[in-house]
Amino acid sequence: MAERGFTRRSALVLGGGIMAGLATPNFRRVRAAEVLHVNTWGGVWERAAIKNLFEPFTRETGIEIRPVSPVSFAKLAQQVRSGAYEFDVTTLGAGEIIRANQANLVEKLDNTDLAKSPPFPGAVFQNGASSHAFATVIAYQKAKYPNGGPQNWADFWDLQRFPGSRCMQRYASRILPIALAADGVPADKLYPMDINRAFRSLDKIKPAVRVWWTQGQQSQQLLRDGEIDCIALWHARTLELIDQGQPVEIVWNQAEIERAYWVVARGTPNKDNALRFLEAALRPERLAGFCRDSLNGPLNPAAFNHLSPAEAARMPTAPAYKDKVFEQDILNFGGDVNAVTQRFERWIGT
Amino acid sequence: MRLLMLLLGAVVLAFVATPLIIVVPMSFSTAVSLEFPPPGWWTGYYAAYFSDARWTRPTLNSLGIAAAVAVLTVILVTPATFALVRHRFAGKALVNLLLMLPLAVPHIVMAIGYYAFLADVRLLQTFPGIILAHTALSVPMAFLVLSANLKGFDRTLERAAMSLGASPAATFRHVTLPVLWPGFAAAALFAFVQSFDETVVALFISGRDTETLPRRMFDSIRTTADPVIAVVSTLLFVAVAALVILPILWRGIARRRSEARP
Amino acid sequence: MSATAAATGESSLKSWLLLAPLLVFLAAFFVVPLAQVVVMSVTEPEFGFGHYAEIVTDGFHLRVLMETFVTALVVSLCCLLLGFPLAYAMAAAPASLAAAMMVVVTMSFWTSFLVRTYAWMVLLGNRGPIAQFAEWLGFAAPELLFTRFSSTIAMTHILLPYMVLSLYGVLKRIEPALPRSAASLGATPAAVIRHVVLPLAAPGIANGLTLVFVLCLGFYVTPILLGSPREQMVAGVIGQQVEEFLAFGEASAMAVVLLASTLIVLGLYHRRFGLDRLWG
Repeated sequence: MAERGFTRRSALVLGGGIMAGLATPNFRRVRAAEVLHVNTWGGVWERAAIKNLFEPFTRETGIEIRPVSPVSFAKLAQQVRSGAYEFDVTTLGAGEIIRANQANLVEKLDNTDLAKSPPFPGAVFQNGASSHAFATVIAYQKAKYPNGGPQNWADFWDLQRFPGSRCMQRYASRILPIALAADGVPADKLYPMDINRAFRSLDKIKPAVRVWWTQGQQSQQLLRDGEIDCIALWHARTLELIDQGQPVEIVWNQAEIERAYWVVARGTPNKDNALRFLEAALRPERLAGFCRDSLNGPLNPAAFNHLSPAEAARMPTAPAYKDKVFEQDILNFGGDVNAVTQRFERWIGT
Repeated sequence: MRLLMLLLGAVVLAFVATPLIIVVPMSFSTAVSLEFPPPGWWTGYYAAYFSDARWTRPTLNSLGIAAAVAVLTVILVTPATFALVRHRFAGKALVNLLLMLPLAVPHIVMAIGYYAFLADVRLLQTFPGIILAHTALSVPMAFLVLSANLKGFDRTLERAAMSLGASPAATFRHVTLPVLWPGFAAAALFAFVQSFDETVVALFISGRDTETLPRRMFDSIRTTADPVIAVVSTLLFVAVAALVILPILWRGIARRRSEARP
Repeated sequence: MSATAAATGESSLKSWLLLAPLLVFLAAFFVVPLAQVVVMSVTEPEFGFGHYAEIVTDGFHLRVLMETFVTALVVSLCCLLLGFPLAYAMAAAPASLAAAMMVVVTMSFWTSFLVRTYAWMVLLGNRGPIAQFAEWLGFAAPELLFTRFSSTIAMTHILLPYMVLSLYGVLKRIEPALPRSAASLGATPAAVIRHVVLPLAAPGIANGLTLVFVLCLGFYVTPILLGSPREQMVAGVIGQQVEEFLAFGEASAMAVVLLASTLIVLGLYHRRFGLDRLWG
């Protein structure tokens, strides 16, 4: 008797499932024409990209762009190996673009218009199209530190003066320079890095790090839910939280500036459209719109013609921050980025 | 002592039940992510779930994959179960062991195996690839359910039919199948649920267009942890509740009906 | 002549024909991928047993394995400690109450473990009910999430139904009169449980412990989502090696070690109790 109940139920479920299964492939075939899949960081970043980069591109070329998230360097590597492409275009930070070139994961840009007649100096770097600058800053819960929280990385490391849980990105090439800065290395002496010293410095803060975040939205969720007291995260994510009224403070001092580059996944069948997208994404007006909404700093200087001084002032490239911040120097890293990343991952896990 | 055990049992039962129930109020919460008790109530995240293709498409994908897995599993397992339950032959123990092996191998091991294997045969991130992998993983449970059913089957029925002149095919169709039908359904259901819930292998072998619901849930929990995940959880919870409670109610009604009719 | 004997006479060819589709399928889509893991562990990136040597010597992998075994052991014991009273209560309760309890346990069993993992994030989170209760009592909200504690409690909750169902099976079969007559002969309740109930329940306990331990060894999702980054379990490390570094060789070698550990535990159970009872 009990089984009869099962029967009807599963027949219903089965029936529905088969219909869905039959429906899905057709539905996809219709839309498969000209589509470019672009890997995005979700949240405000994605909204800014859709409005200012994707939609204008579709209007101009008729090529639909579909965002794919979450961002994962690993997927870029996987899809080149497996031949199954989840995205055609993605953005990489400096550390990743070096690793990607080492492993031959991105299309060469040598023979493209972008490389032959660059719209601005440095538009192409390591087969990536230079898009925008972003910063890794300190943020903390105001309620936890009513008299002011950590004001620089040495403070961030100081668990006596600023007790509480910490959180940082799981991203070796971005965290190691910060560890050196915390250890007292001046900004102009960071590179080439003393990798061992950086790890020794990291050892000191490790017990306090509850989470190593991997996704931008995750860092926001942890801060919003009060799971962590101090965090190293991107300036735009912090400003978004502050704009939403979260009791969070941002510290621009010693912010680590890094550049983001658009790259084309090697071997993608949509290479030509992907390259068109790269070219379009650097155009001053579109880049300015993207940076205005995502609060990043455009690397194409012409973009500033489309930004008001007030808008530019919130970006990490603003002159007001110039003396406070330091920039990544990935070509002068001080070690093999891939090997250091492996070591970092192991270090986290023990 | 007995009382103490009962009391402890009740406490443990509360431990079992609380996490299942808590997702229901969470799904009606206005909170942006994890906050309990909810700061306010609405159904906005239900609307968000049903209107967002990033949620509905993985849901449909998972339903379709699970349905295909259920069908394929039953088709493959049924003849094998007949052979193993009714016949004796050399190597039977070994075959038995092989059929149970997918249950013993940790999913992460199969995940990297399928990842490499499906990439080699160009089935990575495709529906057929996921269906084939999930079917293999569903074999043991379907086999267990079906063989338990078949062992309880009274073969005198079949012999009676045959002695009355029915062909083996007709006997199977008109005698064996109707009696075992609940067993097939249960086996299919187990395979369906196994595939629908399977997370680890799907994380590695599903892709952009073939994303499964558990993979979407995993990504969501890891990034935003917003209450849409509570909506999905509540829907799944309600489905399971229906699956578990309905047969019991059904049995209760049937019993009462049969008691009323002596 | 019995039916089975008649069937045996029919020819084993027929059996193999009936088995053929499934065996071919499993060979192609289960055995081959599994064998590929074993092969990759000694061929990626080059032939040799370097990955295994590294696992034994580099300290990191052994520590992860140790961590995994200890966690699985702790979770198994927690499941036993929690599962026994519940199963006992179910076996002792009147039929309708027992059925209701069974519904709760079954529902937990069938509910996706992602749902249950998420529920524990809510429960243990900094804005969750436990933290709020602590604050209401005047304590600082404890940091529960992303610790060894949070992943252990969630895994215990997820695996508890396996233990309860295993124990309930044996406890239900113990003659209710037996403990009572022991008690009437003057045995204390504790003595009754220890000398009468426990020995009779031993197969169920072994069954439950084995199931929970083996399932816990391979846990991937829950430790990643809830656990501490410093206390990784072996499945997480395997997944990360593949996802982050495409290091198939190293990941496969760890996978083989995990697989071997699982099979050894199951083998021990098989020698003592017979494997077909485990999932029965």
